[in-house]
Amino acid sequence: MRSPASGDQVAVDDQDRWDRLLAESASGRDFHPEEICRLCIEMLGVSGAGISMVTPAGTRSVVFSSDDTSARIEDLQFTIGEGPCVDAVTFGRSVLVGDLDNPDDVLVERWPQFMEGARLADVRAVFSFPLRIGAISIGALDLYSNQPLDVSENWVSSALMAADAVALALLLDTHLEGRSVDDFDVQSTFQVQVHQATGMVQVQLDMSAEDALLTLRARAFSSGRPLTEISSDVVSRRLRFAKEDE
Amino acid sequence: MSDNGEAVEGAAVRSREQALAETFVLLADTLVDDYDVVDLLDQLVVASIELLGVAAAGLLLKDHRGNLAVIASSSEEMRLLEIFQLQNDEGPCLDCVRLATSVSSGDLAEDAARWPTFVPAALEAGFRSVVAVPLRLRDMTIGGLNLFSDLPQELSPDGQRLAQAMADVATIGILQQRASYRSSMLAEHLQHALNSRIAIEQAKGVLAERNSIGMEAAFNALRRLARNNNRKLAEVAVAVVRNEIDPLVVVAGESPNSE
Repeated sequence: MRSPASGDQVAVDDQDRWDRLLAESASGRDFHPEEICRLCIEMLGVSGAGISMVTPAGTRSVVFSSDDTSARIEDLQFTIGEGPCVDAVTFGRSVLVGDLDNPDDVLVERWPQFMEGARLADVRAVFSFPLRIGAISIGALDLYSNQPLDVSENWVSSALMAADAVALALLLDTHLEGRSVDDFDVQSTFQVQVHQATGMVQVQLDMSAEDALLTLRARAFSSGRPLTEISSDVVSRRLRFAKEDE
Repeated sequence: MSDNGEAVEGAAVRSREQALAETFVLLADTLVDDYDVVDLLDQLVVASIELLGVAAAGLLLKDHRGNLAVIASSSEEMRLLEIFQLQNDEGPCLDCVRLATSVSSGDLAEDAARWPTFVPAALEAGFRSVVAVPLRLRDMTIGGLNLFSDLPQELSPDGQRLAQAMADVATIGILQQRASYRSSMLAEHLQHALNSRIAIEQAKGVLAERNSIGMEAAFNALRRLARNNNRKLAEVAVAVVRNEIDPLVVVAGESPNSE
């Protein structure tokens, strides 16, 4: 990790190690999204990290913050209803502000109160990554730094990978018991037949896309078959899900 | 007879020029407007078929994990064959991105040794030849444009150049968005494009199930809805998945009120 003060872009020097650690932390039986936050602090050179969730009904909650400063910043955004995390969820896109004192992102003009609060908390850089799988949006991963950070493409890629892992972990954490290593197969979750099957099951069971994805995963888990296989069966109409009361 | 033949040829030449002009105008129009890259790439694969006289076209992009994903395809069959290559880690489209150079086969039936898993699948899908050109960005390759034909044929040198030009327009489209959007990070744009694509696939599932139609018909319905209402594909897709648009109305081709 180079020193951000040198003016160089921050980057993950050891991409292989990042990939490995992320995979390891995302495949443990007792996996918690907090571990990914710790990994971000260690390897992405940020001072703090936080995770907030938004339910389909729009209810927001802070589920994790690594320290007092991140907790203050997360809470602030929910209290005043503005800030990078709010916009990341609203627009479904990452918000990257490497220097709040010298922002190159016009988005900061939308958050006058947040900017004031961030200044008071001594936060100099904020990065918010939406936790989403297509139309499924569950919250945001926020990273903070108390000094400006000039981030590289590689840094952003690494942070996006962390956001994917957190998104899946949160989905499962809140809905599924008895998880296994296979449940965290990030790769298979991003296969096209899984997305199509999600849409189909959503209609079959009259539920949200989020619940449909979890239903597919639960079926894969209980039948011991890969998620992609179950999904292909749904897409080719060999498998249908029916409401229990029917 | 010969007069007649010339006249027909003349008409064919004009229509090709016309097609080129229309494509150029369409892409230029898109690029100066506030566009979503997935819409642009969708237009681009469809235009490639007509311009290059091929049966199908698909476009692969590298995501932030370094994996390739199908971001646009002219048909469901094409999409499945692209996915087949990705899942089996073999095929001309992968070679093209890995080698950062154009890869082609004028007759797939004779190239079974080159891609032993891919060739039978391609033939089964009715394709006989392929040209894959890379999406180049300085020293990086960010994806590939793949053109499949149902006849054994090589693209002419002009056709090759046109194919590479289409791939370059795709790259420009991705970069241009980067220049006009708040974030200048390529990884962020690729991530956004892929999430748009995922939302489109989810919406296709909703439409297919609700209306008992295939994925191809579902996508066409989605595309029609977006164009008729001058909205972005991904935006409409998200609205469908979140039940803000009635999936039955979409297929009927009417303009529903969202929300």
